[in-house]
Amino acid sequence: MAGRDRIATQGRGAAQVPRFQVDPLWPKPLPNHWIFGSITGVAVDAQDHIWVVHRGVDSLNPRTEIGLASDPPSAESCCLPAPFVLEFDQTGAVVGHWGGPGHGYDWPQSPGGIAVDAKGNVWIAAAGPPDLAGGRATSTSEEPGGGAGGQAQGTGRGGRGATPRPQDAHVLKFSRTGAFLLQIGKAGRVEGSDSTTALNRPAAVEVDSAANEVYVADGLGNHRVVVLDSETGAYKRHWGAYGEKPTDAPTAPYDPNAPPSKQFGIVSAVRLAKDGLVYVCDRKNDRIQVFKKDGTFLKEGFVSKTTLGDGAVWDVAFSKDPQQRFLYVADGHDQKVWILVRDTLEVVGSVGAGGRWPGHFYGVGSIAIDSKGNIYTGETYEGKRLQKFVFKGLGPA
Amino acid sequence: MSGPRHLVIGAGFVTAIVALGVSRGVLDRAVAVQAQGAVMAPRFEVDPMFPKPLPNNWVLGETIGLGIDSQDHIWIVHRSDRVNANEGAADQNPPTASCCRRAPPVLEFDPAGNLVGQWGGPGEGYEWPLSNHGIFVDHKDNVWIGGNDAKDAHVLKFTKSGKFLMQVGHQGKSGGSNDTENFGRVAKIIVDPKTNEAYIADGYGNKRVAVIDADTGRFKRYWGAYGNKPDDTNIGRYDPNAPPAQQFRTPVHCADLSLDGLLYVCDRPNDRIQVFRPDGTFVKEIFIAKKTLGDGSVWDIAFSKDPQQKYLYLADGKNEKVYIILRETMEILTSFGDGGRQPGQFFAVHSIATDSKGNIYTTETYEGRRLQKFVYKGIGPVTKKDQGTVWPTK
Repeated sequence: MAGRDRIATQGRGAAQVPRFQVDPLWPKPLPNHWIFGSITGVAVDAQDHIWVVHRGVDSLNPRTEIGLASDPPSAESCCLPAPFVLEFDQTGAVVGHWGGPGHGYDWPQSPGGIAVDAKGNVWIAAAGPPDLAGGRATSTSEEPGGGAGGQAQGTGRGGRGATPRPQDAHVLKFSRTGAFLLQIGKAGRVEGSDSTTALNRPAAVEVDSAANEVYVADGLGNHRVVVLDSETGAYKRHWGAYGEKPTDAPTAPYDPNAPPSKQFGIVSAVRLAKDGLVYVCDRKNDRIQVFKKDGTFLKEGFVSKTTLGDGAVWDVAFSKDPQQRFLYVADGHDQKVWILVRDTLEVVGSVGAGGRWPGHFYGVGSIAIDSKGNIYTGETYEGKRLQKFVFKGLGPA
Repeated sequence: MSGPRHLVIGAGFVTAIVALGVSRGVLDRAVAVQAQGAVMAPRFEVDPMFPKPLPNNWVLGETIGLGIDSQDHIWIVHRSDRVNANEGAADQNPPTASCCRRAPPVLEFDPAGNLVGQWGGPGEGYEWPLSNHGIFVDHKDNVWIGGNDAKDAHVLKFTKSGKFLMQVGHQGKSGGSNDTENFGRVAKIIVDPKTNEAYIADGYGNKRVAVIDADTGRFKRYWGAYGNKPDDTNIGRYDPNAPPAQQFRTPVHCADLSLDGLLYVCDRPNDRIQVFRPDGTFVKEIFIAKKTLGDGSVWDIAFSKDPQQKYLYLADGKNEKVYIILRETMEILTSFGDGGRQPGQFFAVHSIATDSKGNIYTTETYEGRRLQKFVYKGIGPVTKKDQGTVWPTK
């Protein structure tokens, strides 16, 4: 009966949407008693390897979480911060790791997104410490009241005892083994959203390898998308919300009942579809704006429009069918991945819920997809997980 | 070191035993087992899909108590008031997102992992703890709860459905470790069905085990480390190279009674278990991961489900593992677990209990905030001293 009913439902034209199932045993346990800090970026490369960047020691509690990292160690067997950048193969094994300060570049106070371009080079946005407007009280003490706040979340202290580093205002390009290649922008140098020479807390990058262009979601400080030459870093063009000239004038807090803001709030991600459309996540405004590559505004769509605080539109990925019919939007405040029809920007489903068990989220802020259509998510805040959701084909919504 | 009483357990334990001049019997047994080819120990695998997702977009705060009742239902208590604002977003005023909401403090799961009961919070006639800590279901099916806020000086007893029955001690009234009316920030409670006595791990403020009548709440006896009279003088931080402290260091985090009448007390920051008779007579002590500083290594214990309770399971929320210990010798046979947020990994594994089938359940405090189940897979040879994350074999 059930089967016949389902056929009948399809016959009436019920929407078919991608379905997913969490793989609770992916990735494999990290080696060396490593643990993730708050994950800020996830990407999949041409070999279907999964790349992660996380906030490492700056997002881990020295007293309770990384006892092997203190001097003297306060624990005998666990744990240590994993290297900032980790590469996993399809089986979920760590096959590469690097990251951290080095010669010739400014390692971020706090990383943002990660991208791997067609040449296999790895891009990291220097996003600065997270925006914590939503408020949180990290639990660092088992005893009430005592010691809470010991975690220097948001200070970007760059390791214990280090002097504060200048504000993140750049993006970095490395080889896949971590050799430094290019820095665009300079830490501590910001000029506002109309600058042709400086960035301000860029949140994420996307590379158009065919055009040798890098798109920067700029970001947490500025209010624009900026496009640069991916080989030289030379400025090419930029735009704000609706393709207008961006401004940094203060705006009212997001109000779902007010007319849509004429300016971006936090530009948290930018992604390019195969058909050349540019999708921009305006996180706190709960919207995606769609552009042509030249910055011509095409349309906008709202997702979970009543969401306040941290906002609903954190990152976006495309389904793997040739038409990229669906968008997957990571919503780190509602703790869901929303499924949208790309053409209409209509929400047709969602995956996930809040919590700490497999398939649950706390701060799902990054999303990427592999060649088989599987979704990978990264959680920031105290989620601190990389999760895989196996694509199970299309089914009724 | 004050003599043969102290068994040092950990990496290189045989050497340590020799160095301490422990009786040859212990060594002989260890050699005998090795001669048979392999050390045998219980094996476990995490069930990554346990429990079922909570309803109502509920999430947990620090999950700081765990008990199993006579029907193998799993009870947890957590700190719903400590859910982060950006996680409990649907509970904000106005709500800032569609998820999540704080689950009620006391949750009851059936063996399949379904949530079948929930209650807790302030009510008429009792003082709900300012900081929940520890839950136990006794042989009469009553539920005990402690609290470790600076003001919490009491324990509470409820029916399984959450009807208030008894409060012993009063908030804000702690008179220290020799007070016979109040406690000092209780960590855990158990009840001995044979005597109907409740043993209180007391606690985060006090430095003692206290025993009361489980029906009347009347104080019966209490003692400190080595059975000494407890003394609240600040003895400073734990130093693994100093002689063992003559007092417990706070928190005294568990007191669990075996079927053969031995009381195992978690002296958490001192990295040791002290074993007593029910009357408070000191029997022995054992150090675990002795170089562990800060929160310490000895958080909570549970017994294996065989009639002899041959094994003791010890949760170590600082090293993020569960040790499997041969109870007779208190030798660590193996351990499982590692740090992390994936199934079978821990962030501050705080409480541990076993069901009638021998399965282990754990809860995590801090930002771990999970209930996890480790399925008992029978006794097998120990191939690794440190098993790491124990996942199901696919």
